[in-house]
Amino acid sequence: MTIKEKGYTHWDGELKDGRFPWWPITRFGIKLTFKRKFFKFLFALTLLPALVWLVGIYISERLEDFSFMVRGDQTDFLNVNPSYFNTYFTNDFLLFMMIMILVFCGAGLISDDLKHNALQLYFARPLKKQDYLFGKAAVIFFFLFILTLVPGLIFILMKLIFAGNFKFINSYPWLPLSIIVYSTLLTSFFALYTLLLSSVGKNRRYVAILIFGIYIFSDIFYGIFYGIFRSQYFSLLSIKVNLQQVGAVLFNQRTPQNVPWLYSLLIILGICVLSGLFLNKKVKGVEIIK
Amino acid sequence: MSVKIKDIHFSYGKVKALDGVDVDLPKGAIGLLGPNGAGKSTLLRILLGFLVPNRGEGTVLGYDIRQQQTLIRRFVGYMPEDDCFIPGMDGVSFTSYMGELSGMPRQEAMKRAHEVLFYVGLEESRYRQTETYSSGMRQRLKLAQSIVHDPKLIFLDEPTSGLDPQGRKEILELIMDISSKKDIQVLISSHILPDIEQTCSYVVILDKGKLAAQGQISELKQVQYSLYELRVKGEEKAFLKRLEETKSKVDETEDKLLRVYLPPGFNPQEIFRIAADEQVQIRHFVKSQTSLEDLFAKVVGVD
Repeated sequence: MTIKEKGYTHWDGELKDGRFPWWPITRFGIKLTFKRKFFKFLFALTLLPALVWLVGIYISERLEDFSFMVRGDQTDFLNVNPSYFNTYFTNDFLLFMMIMILVFCGAGLISDDLKHNALQLYFARPLKKQDYLFGKAAVIFFFLFILTLVPGLIFILMKLIFAGNFKFINSYPWLPLSIIVYSTLLTSFFALYTLLLSSVGKNRRYVAILIFGIYIFSDIFYGIFYGIFRSQYFSLLSIKVNLQQVGAVLFNQRTPQNVPWLYSLLIILGICVLSGLFLNKKVKGVEIIK
Repeated sequence: MSVKIKDIHFSYGKVKALDGVDVDLPKGAIGLLGPNGAGKSTLLRILLGFLVPNRGEGTVLGYDIRQQQTLIRRFVGYMPEDDCFIPGMDGVSFTSYMGELSGMPRQEAMKRAHEVLFYVGLEESRYRQTETYSSGMRQRLKLAQSIVHDPKLIFLDEPTSGLDPQGRKEILELIMDISSKKDIQVLISSHILPDIEQTCSYVVILDKGKLAAQGQISELKQVQYSLYELRVKGEEKAFLKRLEETKSKVDETEDKLLRVYLPPGFNPQEIFRIAADEQVQIRHFVKSQTSLEDLFAKVVGVD
């Protein structure tokens, strides 16, 4: 006898107040992202820098085996130190690929729900606004941590394994903390930036253009204004440069621009706060019934 | 009583949306009626715990509407009026996802999703992407997601909108099955009065933020008014004017049938006296079979 013939049947389980009510949102978000065309290829491409840096760490510990590849004494670039990590975390290619990941995984996170009226489905359930937003943000955290936090910690671990001693971590005991703080800052910033833009429109393509465009054009404007006025303060217009400035400070390096890094940090935090406030206003459970 | 609210007031700024509404709903299927702007949506928002009333108190399934909104949403189901789905998901993943969000364990949610999709008649299409569903299938899917966690109370907002007659009939049958044979209360907000009449025995009618009527449909029809259908010959203008002076409401249909709503306590024989006074012949006089539409028109004061 089919269920339909039996009629409606009750469920004898118990509805539970889960500790992480946002987790199904994150899980399905990740699953749906992997289903997107070309995403797996793109994601593999974004892992390329991590692979290159990892190989660099290996070579740095086996220089004698690879001496035939090195011209003269130019082995400075294989010195694994905070600068090596800073270069990984703030390199243009990685940041650009992160933006590409955001375009794929983040553009539709809220805009698709707005377009297809799905907010009412979420908020008619025992979910708080924070659960919904955190569940969506966690999708971005998942992908960006794989590109930042995870490789950063793996680099340290591999360095220790390849070296066979703890000299590296004894020299830079603060480095793991720098990696955690910078990865969290970078990922939180991109998560809020993406969710903000995703909540602005109902069309994921339009949102994708905004995510990509604002990042790229902020840098282009910096270039234009710098070209005209020759003032490095215009670097504060660039999202990329602001992130690089803060990254350099966290990895104890000289900042790439001659501008107080605190300004960059304030701009990043300011965007985060404004995004949070906007999202709080934009995503409202009360609007579910029209 | 699963829903009990008392003296509920709510305003959007200066606009009063609900003004002292008392509702005490019995078990079974209940219709929520009212013209646009009557306060139906605000009432649903309050019952679902999205709005806290300015004044008044109440409980849904025993949970306080002011303090325990999350608990209310755990144990109620909601079928929205809008077309809503999550793109990229098939029917069974979508339904299971909704179950998980309600607090069901993952595997149980998946098992239950299959069951409810069978129940609503989407067994063949459960692995299809939801964006490829027809509007009838989406309506069923919305019903499935609202019952996947086996709620004790379901709010259905225009459950038959956009459906063809056959689809409408099937959805109504499902609703009747849920409300009559199982221990689940159903609150249906709809503009389609015959749907309410077919599925509900109890009705709540709101008008301009106030409770216009509440009770068993059969009782309300009798208490609120008596309706007569007349055909007359002669100068009907003066006759109609006289009738309206008695506070009766008269509607004329396209085929010249007069529908006269008599006020409470009005003796129908008076109609004949007025007709005689105005020298009008009454050729047809029948006490009408009153419908919910008639009741609604009378209570709300619209055609």
